Amino acid sequence: MSFDVRKYGVRAIAVREIKRMLSHRLYFFCMLVAPAISVVFFLSLMREGLPTNLPVAIVDLDNTANSRNLVRQLDAFTQTKVVLSATSFTEARMAMQRGEVYGIYFIPRGFSEEATSGKQPQLSFYTNGTYLIAASLLFRDMKTMSVLAGGSVGLQLGTAHGLPLSQIMGQIQPIVIDTHPVGNPWLNYSVYLNNTILPGILQLMVFLMTVYCIGVEIKWDSARQWLDMSRGVLWKALVGKLIPYTVVFTIVGFMICAVLYGFSSFPLESGWFPILSAVFLLVIASQAVGIFMISVLPTLRLGLSFACLFGMISFSIVGFSFPVLGMHPTLQALSQLFPLRHYFLIYVDQALNGRDLYYSLTQYSMLLGFLILPFLTGKNLKKALLCMKYIP
Amino acid sequence: MMKNESRFTDVVKEGISDVFYIWKEEFKNIFKDSGVVIFFFLVPFAYPLVYAFIYTNEVVREAKMVVVDHSDSYLSREFARRVDATGDVKIVGVCEDMEGAKRMLDKKDAYGILYFSSDFSKDLNAGRQATVSLYTDMSSLLFYKAFLLSTTEVSFDLGKELTVRNHPDVSKKADQIKVNPVPYESVALYNSQMGFASFLVPAILILVIQQTLILGVGMLGGTAREKNKCHALVPIDRHFRGTLRIVLGKSLTYLVLYVLVCIWVITIVPRLFSFPQIGNPGVILLFFLPFLAAAIFLSMTLSGFMTSRESPMLVFVFTSVIFLFLSGVSWPKESIPGFWKIFGYFIPSTPGIQGFTRINTAGAGLSEVMNEYRLLWVQAGVYFISACLIYRYQIIRTCKDKGML
Repeated sequence: MSFDVRKYGVRAIAVREIKRMLSHRLYFFCMLVAPAISVVFFLSLMREGLPTNLPVAIVDLDNTANSRNLVRQLDAFTQTKVVLSATSFTEARMAMQRGEVYGIYFIPRGFSEEATSGKQPQLSFYTNGTYLIAASLLFRDMKTMSVLAGGSVGLQLGTAHGLPLSQIMGQIQPIVIDTHPVGNPWLNYSVYLNNTILPGILQLMVFLMTVYCIGVEIKWDSARQWLDMSRGVLWKALVGKLIPYTVVFTIVGFMICAVLYGFSSFPLESGWFPILSAVFLLVIASQAVGIFMISVLPTLRLGLSFACLFGMISFSIVGFSFPVLGMHPTLQALSQLFPLRHYFLIYVDQALNGRDLYYSLTQYSMLLGFLILPFLTGKNLKKALLCMKYIP
Repeated sequence: MMKNESRFTDVVKEGISDVFYIWKEEFKNIFKDSGVVIFFFLVPFAYPLVYAFIYTNEVVREAKMVVVDHSDSYLSREFARRVDATGDVKIVGVCEDMEGAKRMLDKKDAYGILYFSSDFSKDLNAGRQATVSLYTDMSSLLFYKAFLLSTTEVSFDLGKELTVRNHPDVSKKADQIKVNPVPYESVALYNSQMGFASFLVPAILILVIQQTLILGVGMLGGTAREKNKCHALVPIDRHFRGTLRIVLGKSLTYLVLYVLVCIWVITIVPRLFSFPQIGNPGVILLFFLPFLAAAIFLSMTLSGFMTSRESPMLVFVFTSVIFLFLSGVSWPKESIPGFWKIFGYFIPSTPGIQGFTRINTAGAGLSEVMNEYRLLWVQAGVYFISACLIYRYQIIRTCKDKGML
């Protein structure tokens, strides 16, 4: 009797799985090393938050005290660094094609003289749209610079006419925009990207490990033995097998949160509970999707390919870089099929904006809804486990 | 002397015929294996289409914004109307107070708030500087950008008109000078609408080529070792006895296949989705040669460490995200910490993406990408040697197992 208790049931299967996990370093790599590498990589990569000192070229054909002053002011912006003083636009453009600069600031010949005499000379600036982040940041600095340049000339003209400063500013720039980027006032890219990339990698690894640990039973012809341990009850077999992974991945997910919201102090308006429960639900929802994958394609390599492709597409379709609302309606609907999408929406509502839990309830229940998937395809999986022969 | 020479030519002849034998065998291996076929054909075929489809709209249009207008004046309404008229922003409603507007953000009915204080119109009419406040949901930077650019444009345009209107006494030309002493123009080169697909998809194309090679070749290596009784990479066969023939024969197979893949990925896909492509095809071709060589030899080197056919998928897929950021196309290379920069020099996709985007999208010639081009050749050379070493080691192992040494 005591023999039976040891050999059968959920706990025995879990013990068997833990032994497997410890026997091969592949598990160790996928569950701990890969997430750890990713966390270290992305947080150290973007530790500045915003890229600083992006190289630009200036073409100063005016070359007067005024224009040199303009260049110095442009250089003083934290995001901009003037690295090249080109004598012609062509020279600057070639530097851009060599990847040495992301922007070109062009001051025409006779600029200072024309500006003060009211001939309206034109400043031009160029950004390399191939590098979107660098181009956007430089665009901002160079545009501000140009407005300021106009302002300082206007100021000179105005004070020459003896107007008070408040009135001159009212004339030069009657309306100013006061921006409030709620939740991320520093426009920190690390906050913006890593809050979704890192859980995305977690989701990818959960997909892969779930598919692998089930598919490998078919491959090594041990599926029948595994099922026998739960006396043929599929859900018990699955629960026993996957619980060790649930525990490890949830801990890994919590560690990621600890690094993001503790160590890096990223915005966490809602407190810990909503985001940690979202991480846990992301893990089990991804496991459910993993079971679905191997049930539909019960060959290890095909199941894993499915997991790879689905996991990689998540990074794009989740909409943290390019918003889902900007995508084709078909894709907007399809994005619902990715657990990471719901996690992302919870993160935005809870951690970033600190909204009422009420607004995220749909997303929490969608994540729970993924747990239905294994029941839909259970029959298929059981058949595969019992009858499938691995063909190398 | 004569004898030596004829023996040498015999060896070369035998070597060349072995290279082609191995080349043929590897072709058979690839087409027998559905897993490899997925990564060599299906993924490079479908992925570019999927990504192009995801990012096909390029920019965000009609980002939803709500207005809170405490000024309730002609000017504030005009401001909001003009923001609505821009292509990037759509005003979805007007709220009484900020509480109501925030609730619309909570419900995702809007992603930004435009707030006019009660002083807005008064300030403007008195000739003082007036402030408009913009609150944005930061879940997507593209929304933020759309709101910021549109409202800034409107504030400049409307501001200029107001200045002219408030000073009817001066002549037209003098107005313009006072309002706008230094006009400026901005040009986004190479990707004029600053589109997302045009920026990211070329990088993804290069990455897909490299990663599918690593996965596919890794699977072939893993399978070979699984099938082999002694878990060695090299079969016991008289054709497989020279390192050089194996490495050359196999890499030739991959090269032939990937030339086809590249034609699809870099010439047909960009045309299907009309991405900016001003690069010279000859330059692209020249640049691809070392890139493919480096990626193939890297894959062959890594395949030596794969003990089962599934391990490449488990081990290498997550690196795609890392390699994309290492390339410096999204996160600028000047801001990549030194350690990671050095690490990036070992990955063909780093110079591959840098060079390809500049040739393809920015129309650079070979001399403008010389650094990347040289680095790729160095990588190809280094990984060729390492692939040879791996296979050499495996051959010795096979021979030992067979008792030939």
